[in-house]
Amino acid sequence: MPQPLSSRDQTLFRTVIKNYEDKHYKKGLKACEQILKKNPKHGDTTAMKGLILNAQGQTEEAFALAKEALQYDMKSHICWHVYGILYRTNKNFEEAIKAYKFALKLEPESQQIARDLATLQIQTRDYQGYIQSRAAMLKARPSVRQSWTALAVAHHLAGELQEAEHILTTYENSLKNPPLKSDFENSEAVLYKNQIIAERGDIERALEHLETAGKDALDRLAVMELRAQYNKKLGKKEEATKAYRALLDRNPEHPDYYTDLIEVLGLSDEAERKALYDEYATKYPRSDAAKRLPLDFLTGDAFRQAAKSYLVSMLSKGVPSVFANLKHLYKDESKKETLPALVEEYIQELKSSGDVNGDSSKGEGAALYFLAQHYNYHLSRDLAKAMEYADKAIALDPKNVEFAMTKARIYKHQGDTQKAAEAMDAARQLDTRDRYINTKAAKYQLRNDNNEKALELLGMFTRAETPGGPLADLLDMQCIWFLTEDGESHARQGHVGLALKRFHAIYNIFDIWQEDQFDFHTFSLRKGQIRAYVDMIRWEDKVRDHPLYSRPALAAIKVYLDMYDASQSTNGVNGTSGDANGADAQEAKKAAKKAKKEAQKAEKEAAEKAAKQDPNAAKKEEVPGKKKDEDPNGLKLAATEDPLGEATKFLVPLLQFSPKLIDAQIAGFEVYLRRKKYVLALKCLNEALALDENHPALHAQAIQLRHALNSDMKDLDPKVQEALKETFTAVPASADLKQLNAEFLKKHGNSAQHRIAAARAAVTLGEDRSKAEKDLVDALNIKDTTFEDAAALLEQLKKWKSGEVASFKQAAHEKWPEVTVFA
Amino acid sequence: MDIRLLRPSDIPLIQHANLENLPENYFLKYYLYHALSWPQLSYVAVDVSRPKKTPYDYPKIVGYVLAKMEEEPTDGVQHGHITSLSVMRTHRRLGIAEKLMRQSQQAMVETFNAQYVSLHVRVSNVAALHLYRDTLGFQTEKTEAKYYADGEDAYCMKLDLGFIKDQIEEEADGEAKDEGEAVGDVGSDPAEKKKRDAAEKEKKRKVKVGRGLGVGELVERVETKKE
Ligand SMILES: CC(C)(COP(=O)(O)OP(=O)(O)OC[C@H]1O[C@@H](n2cnc3c(N)ncnc32)[C@H](O)[C@@H]1OP(=O)(O)O)[C@@H](O)C(=O)NCCC(=O)NCCS
Repeated sequence: MPQPLSSRDQTLFRTVIKNYEDKHYKKGLKACEQILKKNPKHGDTTAMKGLILNAQGQTEEAFALAKEALQYDMKSHICWHVYGILYRTNKNFEEAIKAYKFALKLEPESQQIARDLATLQIQTRDYQGYIQSRAAMLKARPSVRQSWTALAVAHHLAGELQEAEHILTTYENSLKNPPLKSDFENSEAVLYKNQIIAERGDIERALEHLETAGKDALDRLAVMELRAQYNKKLGKKEEATKAYRALLDRNPEHPDYYTDLIEVLGLSDEAERKALYDEYATKYPRSDAAKRLPLDFLTGDAFRQAAKSYLVSMLSKGVPSVFANLKHLYKDESKKETLPALVEEYIQELKSSGDVNGDSSKGEGAALYFLAQHYNYHLSRDLAKAMEYADKAIALDPKNVEFAMTKARIYKHQGDTQKAAEAMDAARQLDTRDRYINTKAAKYQLRNDNNEKALELLGMFTRAETPGGPLADLLDMQCIWFLTEDGESHARQGHVGLALKRFHAIYNIFDIWQEDQFDFHTFSLRKGQIRAYVDMIRWEDKVRDHPLYSRPALAAIKVYLDMYDASQSTNGVNGTSGDANGADAQEAKKAAKKAKKEAQKAEKEAAEKAAKQDPNAAKKEEVPGKKKDEDPNGLKLAATEDPLGEATKFLVPLLQFSPKLIDAQIAGFEVYLRRKKYVLALKCLNEALALDENHPALHAQAIQLRHALNSDMKDLDPKVQEALKETFTAVPASADLKQLNAEFLKKHGNSAQHRIAAARAAVTLGEDRSKAEKDLVDALNIKDTTFEDAAALLEQLKKWKSGEVASFKQAAHEKWPEVTVFA
Repeated sequence: MDIRLLRPSDIPLIQHANLENLPENYFLKYYLYHALSWPQLSYVAVDVSRPKKTPYDYPKIVGYVLAKMEEEPTDGVQHGHITSLSVMRTHRRLGIAEKLMRQSQQAMVETFNAQYVSLHVRVSNVAALHLYRDTLGFQTEKTEAKYYADGEDAYCMKLDLGFIKDQIEEEADGEAKDEGEAVGDVGSDPAEKKKRDAAEKEKKRKVKVGRGLGVGELVERVETKKE
């Protein structure tokens, strides 16, 4: 039975709540103790104590207290509410929702509990639950516009457009006086309603609504854009033309406006279209788009002329970004030839006119720089020429950062990561105040596996006062590019722990990004910016489809697969040599030991350094509320017993959100095959084949799967067998796999990537490994083999601990002396 | 190049551009806070010509302006503020920064009735100073000593947006006259403003780093106040 409190203690209890809300935790705890002294079994106070401890990071104690509180007072909504909040803050949303529902049953009038429940429901995308909650909240507070908007949003997100519109209209009809034009919330609500009408497909009504209710909305751009789009869709040529012209006057730098206007006007003729752009180029001389966009569609002489005048004006001004602005035209062969020819012409004309410019980054310098980039670009690459032009440009203007940067990029394309890093650092030193060039210099250090130097450079721009130095600041600031590059670099160097550490950090950042939406479920309703909120929700739904996620996720999976393979190598499965006889495992252990030692050393050094610099350093480390990282070097991650399970954690979002990414499907196959999840492996294989049936890796995978099934099929559930039989058509069950592989090799023997696939398949099938290795070594002699291919060959040989590694490296080094990985 | 309004899905690459270009960095949530509070004010420049490397490539952001309205203006005058502006080095001097700023300024007046826009800039930032002062017409209000985390001073700059308001009114006059004042004028009582100005002078601003806490704090505080 709950204990009733004396009136004095009741007052005290209210201060506890206030203290908690104001984050005065110490005071709050003290007050709790005071109450509990007299009423040791007071449920609500016990619960509040737990809540405060939770806020202080003492999760376990908090949960223990919350449970105790419920034992004292099962019927208290406060106890249940607190219980829910604990689950919520510890990310167990399902349990939190349950607890909130209990609390709400006990106290149906509580707006706060209702709101907490609703927020969680939308966070977990329980649309129907959210609709129910919002409907109840509307009933309780029908006079507030927010209540109506919220319910409309709930229906809208659930796809119930008609209902959503109806709710908004009902509110509008209840208003006695029309809202002021300056009423921002109203202005947004009207545009939101307009969006819903358009989403329902009723463009005619949407236009009418826009021109009446929406005509004075404060978001002018939205009104103008919608007006243009609706009129265009409805075929109202005159109105649409007027609307697009108004938009172009506002922003002549938005290509869609031009293309839409051209469509409305029905201009198909090249000259007519050019004339329209010219009109705007004259009207807005500072507009880049009007001058540049015609280059996309013009051809022949007209292109030549337009390109020439564009190039001349940009080069004379010394705009460094001309090439970046034009290189997309290189898809067209004739444009690819015309552009550099025009630039050469420009240089000749400058020379013959004797017009030597005062500023060397302009005119000739800019032109030489263009040509250096031209020969450095993958569609027109000739690195020797690129270097020649870069050197000429630098000779004209030795202090020019862009010119110097280009040289570094050329070295990078040559595979000379060492010189590239040096050259980028030289460029950096020309402008030490610009973070962009600093970032590039650091990135090039990472590509050259000089992690320490990279961090040192980055430290010039990170906040000095962040405890933990540049790395901690970059982590704090969610600097994904650095974590990715640093992780990939550590992976290349075999620093498994540190590599995994970085990749997991990125995984966690995406968790944070997903949680970030939480506060906005209520915030946005208050702000009234509903359209932006709905946009945000739709983006958050697929936040992990971002390449910022997929790239490190794929890298992490690769690390885990290698880890798993190394641990299996004693059994000689998965393509690793059987006769190594535990050598791999031993070596892996050795490597782990070495890594541990190094890590410990590094840690000690870092600690000593910190201690020397600042006597208060130790204290500074303890930022309240921030937990100390118990595994800064990822040793625990590297010691995992379940690399495939960990890989799956990275894999699942990849397959869910980026199913059209072939590398994701390929990685998925590798994970699931090793886990003997054959149905899932086959699904990945089939998806990948649908994306690109000629991808060499898929040949090896199909053979591997058939080979595995040949031995394991009989042990599988009959239903699974049936499914596999039906959907695995790439390699028939009756196929002679060795012969199939031999044919593949014969057909594609002059491609290094195909040779790798065939070699993998051969080893899987138990064929002579030395022959497979020979095929790889020999691939070096294929005419088309690039140094990148050679690096892949080398990696495969290394993975097999082949005796050919050293001689291969030597041969590759002779062929590409500048490439750092073979040095 | 494409200059257009910021969308929430642009934010990861805006954050990336910011980290590449500037030492003042923010959590993703702080960008969300801008995008969801004043979605009309922030613009991006996108390199639309880049060939896609994967089916999931997001538009490559080569420049952005992140802008806001001052929520509790100390001078009582509605005004905008530039939180961050940068352009990738590969795309500088194309006029991108100028165009981003102009779009944002226009919307500040139209949507939020901003009277002026303010910003801070490092005293050594030649490119930015040229842009603000010479191209856009900002004026230096004062110098704030050691404003930046590394100890550098900042110019606090302002641009009166009255000229945009005049333009809008001119255009409106061209069309049919309608019912009175377009936008409510907050805190424009001149006497009131004087008082506030005086109070503002008394208060010495503390060193601030351009790095927000994220809205978590803000939201919760406002919520509890309301209950
Ligand atoms: C400042 C910055 C945003 C300018 O971007 P941008 O797109 O190159 O600028 P614009 O092309 O619009 O140039 C605007 C004007 O500034 C001038 N300008 C640009 N860079 C300049 C430079 N390095 N030196 C002198 N003037 C420069 C332009 O010539 C142009 O002047 P104009 O109107 O007389 O023709 C860009 O240099 C940058 O991102 N720097 C790093 C980040 C930064 O400092 N941000 C500002 C923080 S407050």
